[in-house]
Amino acid sequence: MIGVDIQKRLHAFTLDVQFDAQHETVVLFGRSGSGKSRTLAGVAGLMRPDSGRVVVGSRTVFDSTRRIDVPPQQRNLGYLFQQVALFPHLTTEENIAYALTGLDASARRRRVRELAELLRIEELGARYPGEMSGGQQQRVALARALARPVDGLLLDEPFSALDEALRADLRAELVRLRQDIDVPIVCVTHDLREAHLLADRIAVLEAGRVLQFAERTGVFHHPASRQVAQLTGVANVFAAHGLGGRRVEIEGAAFEVPQAVAEGVPVDVCIRAERCLLRRTDVNDDLPPNCFVADIASELAFGNAYTLHLQAVGPGPGVEVDVASRPYDVLGVATRRRWVVELPVNDLHVMPR
Amino acid sequence: MSTNSAAEHPRVVAVRRAWSLGWIFASPSLLFGAFVLVPLIALAIRGWQDGQVMERLLSPFVLHALRLSVVTSTLTLVLALVFGVPAAYLLARGRFRGRQLLTILVELPMVLPPTVAGVALLVAFGRRGAIGAALVEMGIEVSFTTTAVILAQLFVSAPFLVRSLQAGFEAIDPTYEQVSATLGVSELRTFLRVTLPLARPALLSGAVLCWTRALSELGATLIFAGNFEGRTQTMPLAIITAFESSAGLSGAIAISLVLLVVASILLVVARLAQRRSRGSS
Repeated sequence: MIGVDIQKRLHAFTLDVQFDAQHETVVLFGRSGSGKSRTLAGVAGLMRPDSGRVVVGSRTVFDSTRRIDVPPQQRNLGYLFQQVALFPHLTTEENIAYALTGLDASARRRRVRELAELLRIEELGARYPGEMSGGQQQRVALARALARPVDGLLLDEPFSALDEALRADLRAELVRLRQDIDVPIVCVTHDLREAHLLADRIAVLEAGRVLQFAERTGVFHHPASRQVAQLTGVANVFAAHGLGGRRVEIEGAAFEVPQAVAEGVPVDVCIRAERCLLRRTDVNDDLPPNCFVADIASELAFGNAYTLHLQAVGPGPGVEVDVASRPYDVLGVATRRRWVVELPVNDLHVMPR
Repeated sequence: MSTNSAAEHPRVVAVRRAWSLGWIFASPSLLFGAFVLVPLIALAIRGWQDGQVMERLLSPFVLHALRLSVVTSTLTLVLALVFGVPAAYLLARGRFRGRQLLTILVELPMVLPPTVAGVALLVAFGRRGAIGAALVEMGIEVSFTTTAVILAQLFVSAPFLVRSLQAGFEAIDPTYEQVSATLGVSELRTFLRVTLPLARPALLSGAVLCWTRALSELGATLIFAGNFEGRTQTMPLAIITAFESSAGLSGAIAISLVLLVVASILLVVARLAQRRSRGSS
């Protein structure tokens, strides 16, 4: 396991981060400059925290109160850098074998071949980094980081330098590799889709603090606060207040929510854009619960989906609604402006304000 | 290389623009080139016309100077590497107070007139100098010996190596060293396997600068080591001696030709070595 509880004064804010990774992938998710990479550097021993504790496997590698600070060389952590940073003067094989100092020549060759096979880079052995694509380089860097037996793997924005197709490729690769690498993985990313794909648990970081640390689905469907909701791409976050029971009021309209909110208590209510439903206005005149009439104010076409901004006619909030291209055509969204928007009860999530 | 890439991307406009600038800059460039080349060519022609070049070169006077120059400048380079490589690394990567001051200090001998360096060395290491007197008591004489030649050359030429190498180290992304650390490799081993190889172009050009500067050293040597044939009379000193002797200019020309050839060969070798190391990285 990897256990982290570190503090460090930085220029813009004070880093104060707690999380742990068992035999799982933990994603540190946040905007650039939120302190995720610094946290990773602190775990690896490349940055010295002011205070706190870092545990790797069964060893305490940093403890400010007991004056323990194990150098990075002895922390037994594989570290994949954002810049890839393959040694430019060494071939693929030499890069992978770089860390294998204790082995004899034949054992080293065998280990290099194993890793090359695992990462499907057998044909690159004699090439220099300058002669490889970005994706190939990142595979070699991963092989290099895994060459020694490690107690954990740290990935710092591992795919950010690659173009979209390669990223998808390598993400899939990492998911496949997960079965062969039986160590905790801590991965830093600012990419929402990447975080969702790779993570068992997610720690959401902002300005050096962990806003929420929970199971992947928990973070995505039950964000702890307005901030987490916005960071994890929830398009609709409404200021609301309780009406007693499981009812809240948003912009003058009453909505049913999954949990009880005491009367008059201010809360934030959120719903992801793809969970909102559109109905035709002429279905019936009596509006069903959690529905309101709204006009399309603007529309963005993304090819496979459409993002619509709707403004309530009468009481009700403005909402962003994602519609996949098929329902968009079937409903004939393009042909009419006025719709009934439904915010389904179980997709609404209430957060304390 | 540049002509190749221009052929692959035939962007006519850019090429024309480069040429218009080329014409404006061509005349001063050509004049300057002629200014450098003409004396060197004149030297070669005159040496050829004199006819006695080989004879003079094989005289004991020249052979002694040549051997002394090669031996002392090479030893100077070795010493400069032994002391200069760690110094350059500390100046580039170290985090300590006074680093800026030290960087400036290292450059001081480069801007100092060599004769001043010679006087300073003599004051320190001469028979009655602060360190020199103590050494004499131990039976070690420095001034006016071959050792003094090497010290004079080291003082004047080592900064060229240190400065070039410091810039080389500073240009290396520290991420490489961090990667190495996370791979469990010690700092010394990292330096030898990553940092130093990556700084190889800077090391090569620094070494060549250092060696040629040592080879041409005159002022400091003359004052600190004197001008004794076979002991302290290096090639540049031999040129002066020949010039002032009955042989006059003709004697100086022969020795000058040798230095010209040696320096040219060094320059070409250094360029080739640099190109190769760039090609592999």
